[in-house]
Amino acid sequence: MAHIIEGIRDAINLLLSFDKEIYGIIGLSLYVSLASTLISGIVAIPIGIVLGIKSFPVKKAVIRLLYTMMSLPPVIVGLVVFLFISRNGLLGNLRIVYTPTAIIVAQVLLVTPIIMGTVYAGARERGEEIQNVAYTLGANRAQALILLIKELRVNIFSAIVTGYGRAISEVGAVMVVGGNIKGHTRVMTTVIAMLKNMGQYGMAIAIGIILLLISFIINSILYKLQQGD
Amino acid sequence: MDLQITNLQKYYSGRCVLNIENQRIKKGSFLGIIGPNGAGKSTLVKIIAGLVEAGNGTVSYNGSGLNTAVQQNMTLVFQRPYLLRTTVFNNIAYPLVVRKVKRQEISDRVNSVMESLDIRSLKDQKAWTLSGGETQKVALARAIVINPSLLLLDEPTANIDPGSILVMEENIKKFHEQGNSTVIVVTHNLQQGKRLCDDIAFMHKGEIIESGSADDVFNHPKNILTEKFIAGEILI
Ligand SMILES: Nc1ncnc2c1ncn2[C@@H]1O[C@H](COP(=O)(O)OP(=O)(O)OP(=O)(O)O)[C@@H](O)[C@H]1O
Ligand SMILES: [Mg+2]
Repeated sequence: MAHIIEGIRDAINLLLSFDKEIYGIIGLSLYVSLASTLISGIVAIPIGIVLGIKSFPVKKAVIRLLYTMMSLPPVIVGLVVFLFISRNGLLGNLRIVYTPTAIIVAQVLLVTPIIMGTVYAGARERGEEIQNVAYTLGANRAQALILLIKELRVNIFSAIVTGYGRAISEVGAVMVVGGNIKGHTRVMTTVIAMLKNMGQYGMAIAIGIILLLISFIINSILYKLQQGD
Repeated sequence: MDLQITNLQKYYSGRCVLNIENQRIKKGSFLGIIGPNGAGKSTLVKIIAGLVEAGNGTVSYNGSGLNTAVQQNMTLVFQRPYLLRTTVFNNIAYPLVVRKVKRQEISDRVNSVMESLDIRSLKDQKAWTLSGGETQKVALARAIVINPSLLLLDEPTANIDPGSILVMEENIKKFHEQGNSTVIVVTHNLQQGKRLCDDIAFMHKGEIIESGSADDVFNHPKNILTEKFIAGEILI
């Protein structure tokens, strides 16, 4: 309990200290998580909608695969990405191992199925109905697609929030492909894990509190965005 | 719009739910479709609206197949209408927006249709907060605001209170009289059929058993099934 109180005090002190290192860590966490959520969203939202409203031969298998991907253990994803991008790996000459780019790649792989699956579920439930309304009201294909996205915005919003939550709270994969290198690939979660190992519980809690604070702010912004028409 | 249905059949997992050999629906007519649950009434209007594909046969619209011009000129109000997650005004405006009607005109037309359906006060209300009956009124407003030459209504007054039924019927009638539109209404309310329709088609097990003028079908039914249905008996 004392650690937690100490952590709250430290969190405030840390934020007020304007310590370069800590702001660097926060900044990198935000950058990689937002970048991976953005990339995943661009890929996963349209595909999720299409999966929800169209039927095609191997659809059932695709959906099962998608749900499996949603529960992939992050460390495994990290490991596979690492094997691909490590010096001797297939994509070794990209030279991205232990860089923020590597972290983004791993996070995109984790976040894309989550966003896709959530959007798919919403589109399957209401997609056909929305399409029918669009059609009977005279919309063309493009207008119908825009209407679908608008009508499913609550699902899309929760998909993005869930995906972003997965990204920013990820430790295992980020540790494996990023390496928690000081000033380079150190993010909030990996620094928390490190501080815990060093016995600096108060500091670890402090960073955890900052992490929550940031998530709260970002979710509030996203929530405001999806409310408007 | 003039409709010609020819050899129309629809199967769901091997079961025939619709089988209509030949049915003409003349331009400007007001047709009521009656029949027991599961008779295929909704399926028929969905096929006409282009939402469900027929297994066999054709529906022709003014002599041509289903194309964009036809799609833009007809609309269907569903048995359970889906309103968009926005305000009542935006819902009614949507079909005008997709047709790229000018802002001022949209506002004028939406306001006038809301006025006549007595839903002016709901203008800025969010659609998902409406009552069942209000939802149906908004769906009707959204349909007639574009002046379709074919208006399909699937039980448009199912959740409506008696007074409002008359308001809605008046509006449907007014709409029909104003233009040269064809109106097809599916209804379980036989009194409504009598009040509104010029013609009646009675459906049973996917087939149109009898069709003709409302007076003939209601007062001098030729088929025993029609007679029983009108008398309120359960058909097997
Ligand atoms: N998508 C579908 N898949 C399988 N069967 C269907 C489907 N849609 C309709 N049916 C079946 O087709 C038959 C006709 O349905 P339809 O909705 O046209 O009846 P209806 O005359 O409108 O009935 P109600 O008066 O209850 O609205 C019913 O037996 C129904 O179960
Ligand atoms: Mg029906």
